Amino acid sequence: MTVGEGRLVLVVDDEAPITRALSAALTTRGYRARTAANGRQALDAAATEDPAAVILDLGLPDIDGLEVLHRLRAWSDVPVIVLTAEGADERKVQALDDGADDYVTKPFSTPELLARLRVALRHHRPGGAGTDPTAAPVLTVGDVVVDVAHHTASVDGRALDLTPKEFGFLAFLARHAGKVLTHRMILQAVWGPEYGTESEYLRVYASQLRKKLAEDPERPRLLTEPGVGYRLIDRGTPTSSI
Amino acid sequence: MALVGACTAALLPQRSSVTVATPARVLVDPGLIAALLGGRLAGVAIAAAAAVVLDVLFIEPYGTLDVHVVDDVVALLAFGAVALTVATLMARANDRRRAAEHRAREILALSDERERSQREQARLASEKTALEQAEEARRALLRSVSHDLRTPLAAIRAITSDLRDGAAYDEPTRQDLLDVVGDEAERLDRLVANLLSLSRIEAGALAPHLEAVDLDELLTDRVRRLSRLLRDLRIETRLPPFVPLIDADYTLVDQVVTNLLENAARHAPAGSTVQLEARDHGDMVEVSVSDEGPGVPPADRSRIFEPFHTSTGGSPSSGVGLAICKAIVEAHGGRIRVDDAPAGGARFAFTLPVHRIRTELTA
Repeated sequence: MTVGEGRLVLVVDDEAPITRALSAALTTRGYRARTAANGRQALDAAATEDPAAVILDLGLPDIDGLEVLHRLRAWSDVPVIVLTAEGADERKVQALDDGADDYVTKPFSTPELLARLRVALRHHRPGGAGTDPTAAPVLTVGDVVVDVAHHTASVDGRALDLTPKEFGFLAFLARHAGKVLTHRMILQAVWGPEYGTESEYLRVYASQLRKKLAEDPERPRLLTEPGVGYRLIDRGTPTSSI
Repeated sequence: MALVGACTAALLPQRSSVTVATPARVLVDPGLIAALLGGRLAGVAIAAAAAVVLDVLFIEPYGTLDVHVVDDVVALLAFGAVALTVATLMARANDRRRAAEHRAREILALSDERERSQREQARLASEKTALEQAEEARRALLRSVSHDLRTPLAAIRAITSDLRDGAAYDEPTRQDLLDVVGDEAERLDRLVANLLSLSRIEAGALAPHLEAVDLDELLTDRVRRLSRLLRDLRIETRLPPFVPLIDADYTLVDQVVTNLLENAARHAPAGSTVQLEARDHGDMVEVSVSDEGPGVPPADRSRIFEPFHTSTGGSPSSGVGLAICKAIVEAHGGRIRVDDAPAGGARFAFTLPVHRIRTELTA
């Protein structure tokens, strides 16, 4: 009962069975759940009840989920995990680019959604011990260590010989460990603001990085989110519960 | 050539009384006419022949090609030159005229051809539009079906994955979640029944298996079976004391009633009343479902029975159910419509034929 620490999670979905299932799952883990069945209710609840995180279905009956996210982001940086329908790749990329913290495709596994929620909450917690990602000079994700100050990286104690772009790519992923980063985000952070659509660069660099990390295809650290982007995870934990 | 002869014959008697200029003038004409009718070669040939005739018959000494007087030599040469030039010019003008006529015919043919191809293009374009619309309808069906299938599946998967993970639910919550799984499984079952009917409708194989159906029994049984879906609503069933038997396919009519009740459950507010009525109209019985939901605006009243329309708003919602109702009712020779319910919501009503035995008895 300690996981949720009584934090309030706003669950937005027009399907009552989904909100009932998620409320139960959250409550039993020590979160408090508040549900909203449409965009208007969601924005009202987000404004008046100050949730610690929002689980937002993108297919809402009144206001489009992306628009809800957009309006929410105008004044709030609350972690948002979007629920999307399968095949709606463009919408999930749009949601992530517009400031969603993560996405889960319906039908989803509740433990996986809750794992994503924990990652989002952890990243968000301001000033937590060693968790402010922008300030950390040394980033550790499982056995991957990235020393930002000295521009060196190692895996499992073995130093990696990386090109500057490869290092930038790995450092950016490590800085946001566990979180999905869209192609656009990575390109703009590592290549520069004039980039954004050259996702083929990333395929090349991701493949080189995987070789240098000596990735085991059965237990990868660097995950491809098809059509969306990449995610670096702590290999010690299974994918379904990052 | 005949014209040369005719001209010569006409002029010969007067040859002593006129100068050489008159026959020369007249004899230019056959070459001109020949050029007009026969083209350049004929014109030149006739002009040459006319020059010979002029020399032999109208320039002294007559009967020979000899020319003695200088004037006559000049006249003959001048005649020859004029006749040739005129014939050539005439022939050239004629060639141009023919070419122009030919071109005009070609242009006409081309414009006909163009018109034909434009018509063909228009026909192909309208065919393409029809195909694209059919394709779009098919895509809309796939979208709405996969959405409708995934929604209950999402709830089931969310709950079962969590139970498998060992989530420590208290007993009331566990019971509630099991209910959700059961409800959603039933919803999937209804959806699959609709999809099967839809495939029969699409294949044109929706032939109702007619039997005498007791509506009272069908409606009561259906309401009982849907009691969980309808648990937040008050169902008021109003039937006349003796509902006539109807000629219908029990399973198909049951599906119509199910879809209409499910539709009411989706749109009516919790705690409101849904009225289920049957009325005897002689050779037809009318069954209606009235709710206290938002109702259907007049502009949408025929559209909502079209398959796979997506309701206004974010999530694509079935629309399949009502289209199936329409297909089933019409396959029975009945009609379905929607208007305002007395309480302000939607009232869906459909008619079905009364069992033929009574129809025969009362006839």
